Amino acid sequence: MLSVQERAHIAQVWDLIAGQEALFGAELLRRLFTVYPSTKVYFRHLGDHPDEVQLLNHGQRMLQAVGVAVQYMDNLRAVLSPLADLHAQVLRVDPTNFPLVIQCFQVVLASHLQGEFTVEMQAAWDKFLTGIAVVLTEKYR
Amino acid sequence: MVHFTSEEKAAVASLWAKVNVEAVGGESLARLLIVYPWTQRFFDSFGNLHSESAIMGNPKVKAHGKKVLNSFGNAIKHMDDLKGTFADLSELHCDKLHVDPENFRLLGNMILIVLATHFSKEFTPQMQATWQKLTNAMANALAHKYH
Repeated sequence: MLSVQERAHIAQVWDLIAGQEALFGAELLRRLFTVYPSTKVYFRHLGDHPDEVQLLNHGQRMLQAVGVAVQYMDNLRAVLSPLADLHAQVLRVDPTNFPLVIQCFQVVLASHLQGEFTVEMQAAWDKFLTGIAVVLTEKYR
Repeated sequence: MVHFTSEEKAAVASLWAKVNVEAVGGESLARLLIVYPWTQRFFDSFGNLHSESAIMGNPKVKAHGKKVLNSFGNAIKHMDDLKGTFADLSELHCDKLHVDPENFRLLGNMILIVLATHFSKEFTPQMQATWQKLTNAMANALAHKYH
């Protein structure tokens, strides 16, 4: 359950990302593939060395989904249901990979916001993104 | 055994030279205790950990963070033998402190996030990868003597 303050931190950080989902998404994927190369197995459609355009396109898609989650923080299960189906039936990303994405997401936020990336924001986003990961993997079995 | 290339060692050293050990150590530990509150279980003797500001300002947290990061710095000088360097500390964390090694990984992740806030664009994906490799290796070295 997200507290009032946590929701505020989530919305506040999202304000900085909104409109730049492609850029943030591309950086997220670039960091993910560089730091955790094994995650690339789940993105074979991007090829061995995804180019900038591919990262921007796919990154945008991922961050737009996060944006939907921000909008419907109170109802993640319902609003992410189609994505949960996709992950359970088609993508089947091993659940251990979600913390890796979350860590890279935090590094992206930290490097952009620098001193403004307070511990309260980090805690709220860690909790929020973990909640999303739980929903996305809930139908696995 | 983990092998670090000379480029990786140079990258680590170049960033480390600019790190304020006290600030980064204290903040990393504080963030760990706040973002993952169950980690506070090891620090009953640290006094007031009841709020985020209490934790961020707690002098024992800062001192311990500095101690941990100094140990980190020592390990950086011996990147080719982390297991040997951390052997005694590993036994201590197992036999006396009873710390789940998962906490070493979590703290490593916190250090990376704090480094990112300090170094921003300079903390490139490649730099992040090198440091993640280092903190993973350190966590494994600290867990190595567990039994």
